Amino acid sequence: MAGLPPLASLSQIKNTPSSLDGIPADLEEDLRAYGCKLIHQAGVLLKLKQVAVATAQILFQRFFYVSSMKQFGIGDTGMGALYLSSKLQECPVKMRDLINVFDLLFQRAAHTVSPSSHPLPDFKYSPMSYFGSTFYDLKESLVVSEMQILKRLGFNTNVVLPYGTLVNYMRLLGLTSREDAVSRAWGYLNDALQTPVYALYAVPTIISAAILLTTRHLDIPLPSTPPNCWWELFDAEWEDLWTVCGYIMRLYRERSPEERSRVVGMMGKKDVRRWLESRPNASQ
Amino acid sequence: MSGSSTPSRKRSKWDADDDDDQGLSARPPVQKRRVKVVKPSRTDHPSPNPDISRLPDSAQNNTRPTFSAFAPPRALHPPFISSRSVYSYERLNSIEEGSYGVVFRAKDKQTGDIVALKKLKLDEEKHGFPITALREINALMGCRHENVVGIREVVVGETLTQVFIVMDFIEHDLKTLLTVMPSPFLQSEIKTLMLQLLSAVAHCHANWILHRDLKTSNLLMNNRGSLKVADFGLARRYGDPVGVGGMTQLVVTLWYRAPEILLGAKTYSTAVDMWSVGCIFAELLLKEPLFQAKGEIELLSMIFKLLGPPTSTSWPEYSTLPLAKTITLPSPQPHQFRQKFQYLTTAGINLLMSLLTYDPDRRITADEALQHPYFSESPAPKHPDMFSSFPSAAAGEKRRKPFSSPPAPVRAADQKLLSDVDGP
Repeated sequence: MAGLPPLASLSQIKNTPSSLDGIPADLEEDLRAYGCKLIHQAGVLLKLKQVAVATAQILFQRFFYVSSMKQFGIGDTGMGALYLSSKLQECPVKMRDLINVFDLLFQRAAHTVSPSSHPLPDFKYSPMSYFGSTFYDLKESLVVSEMQILKRLGFNTNVVLPYGTLVNYMRLLGLTSREDAVSRAWGYLNDALQTPVYALYAVPTIISAAILLTTRHLDIPLPSTPPNCWWELFDAEWEDLWTVCGYIMRLYRERSPEERSRVVGMMGKKDVRRWLESRPNASQ
Repeated sequence: MSGSSTPSRKRSKWDADDDDDQGLSARPPVQKRRVKVVKPSRTDHPSPNPDISRLPDSAQNNTRPTFSAFAPPRALHPPFISSRSVYSYERLNSIEEGSYGVVFRAKDKQTGDIVALKKLKLDEEKHGFPITALREINALMGCRHENVVGIREVVVGETLTQVFIVMDFIEHDLKTLLTVMPSPFLQSEIKTLMLQLLSAVAHCHANWILHRDLKTSNLLMNNRGSLKVADFGLARRYGDPVGVGGMTQLVVTLWYRAPEILLGAKTYSTAVDMWSVGCIFAELLLKEPLFQAKGEIELLSMIFKLLGPPTSTSWPEYSTLPLAKTITLPSPQPHQFRQKFQYLTTAGINLLMSLLTYDPDRRITADEALQHPYFSESPAPKHPDMFSSFPSAAAGEKRRKPFSSPPAPVRAADQKLLSDVDGP
């Protein structure tokens, strides 16, 4: 084994660098989720392997326990994380492909929050010119962001993905015949990649949480009365399970239009700074 | 990570964390504390009442003594630790300039430990941080073993183009040692070295890492007779099935390169490292490299001469290899191991021939080789502590110029990069 993957320490969780810069916790959580959505969308457009996308999302979440969104935009960081993880998973993407895809995603996001009239006109992507400054600016941010991720995480890119273990757990619980349960649990694990849980809890805990949500939603009974609690088979603690479930369920809460456009408009560090400055008597 | 206290603000922050985490080892109450911090509010969620009410019981009845090896306690996971500055080290002297970086000897300013700093060349990177450097760092971090050189941390300089891998400093490399030592290693010493090499290689292979550049100059040895495999600059992960999209043939220094790579195989596996181990075994016996060829064709003919040309029984897949058609095989002839290694026991010859076997599928694995009778017959392997010590060239003493082996293949980073991946 390659040693245990790193997890955030108590003080890293208590005071995230973004919160120290005055970014409220709910906004940080939404920005983290949005950054991971961008990574996911880019991964789909680039036809990248899911292991690369998941690795990128986990590195992205870790990064913001040692860095503030005021210093590093979620857009750039998402781009750097995906570029790095494509190499880590031996499926490197071309820099230009990655930049084009993120440019498209940035433009589309900007379009949805443009102050123009309602309803919004259809989105039209305008490609960048081959030698234009947009490309070189994005390339510069990409290279810097990749390096910052490596440096601030101490070059420790040890990431453990949950998929294989989920299959084992489902087998052990005798649930592999329930296709709906397997795919639902799999889906929760993927959705959890948009939350910080992979930077906070060990993989067995996260998988147990996904199974808990699955079995509750599908009304599948499992032994849950002490001293016979199924999650103890996997060395998970009930409180941890429940916390992870909370993180996942909060993703599905309907966001108000204001909340949504607030997040989309804060992809860059400059946007974050502007927002922080514009808040009257903001801090604390 | 080395160094517990440092002047910088960042480090002292981590030190505080460490204290926290140590306090955590008394588990249950702490877990709760942590959870409360993580989770500010849960008002908009389905009530957990039925289960929460059972929780205290469950926690108290929970007298589980230990965690399973697969789910160790939360507190054992390291926190996120940013790279320190290279100025945490004092540079002493440069050791060598390798194929893709300079190696310095340096001193940790806090602990006084002597370390080796390998500077990565990042100036002309067109693809961001090089994938080969990522592979090297990950291989070193993922293959910790007493016979693999220990990685301590990765530190950075003032600009983003200065990155250094910090490793344990090891006094000798086997190649220099073989050139300067007055008499060859004894059989008992060779057995110890081979056992150490094989257990390191077995460990790497068990962790899905191919080294792809095993040679005597990449084997380090300290003054206590302990061998360490170093330089994972060409290492990469492999899978099962092996390298689906094909892997580069630009690996392994020529003299140690397995015949299937020479003949252009697109997929290869752990057996390429085992061939190199065979070449190293022979080199320890002969006190000079086994195949000192100038080019690939000459190397092949030297291999044909020692092993006898491959036949459809000794290597069934030979004719299917890309470059096999371009080679004219010499007329059949028996192998010449016995003539070449006159003083080796039958078991020793058998091990050597099992390593230097044409067919990669039949070549001995590291795990099998560790069980080979050669290691149990007399003389027994010498205890590492009984090795004599030597003056260290890397620590600054003048050394004689060693015979120069060809350089490692040019790093496959740039254009070759894309051919060296498992394609989609």
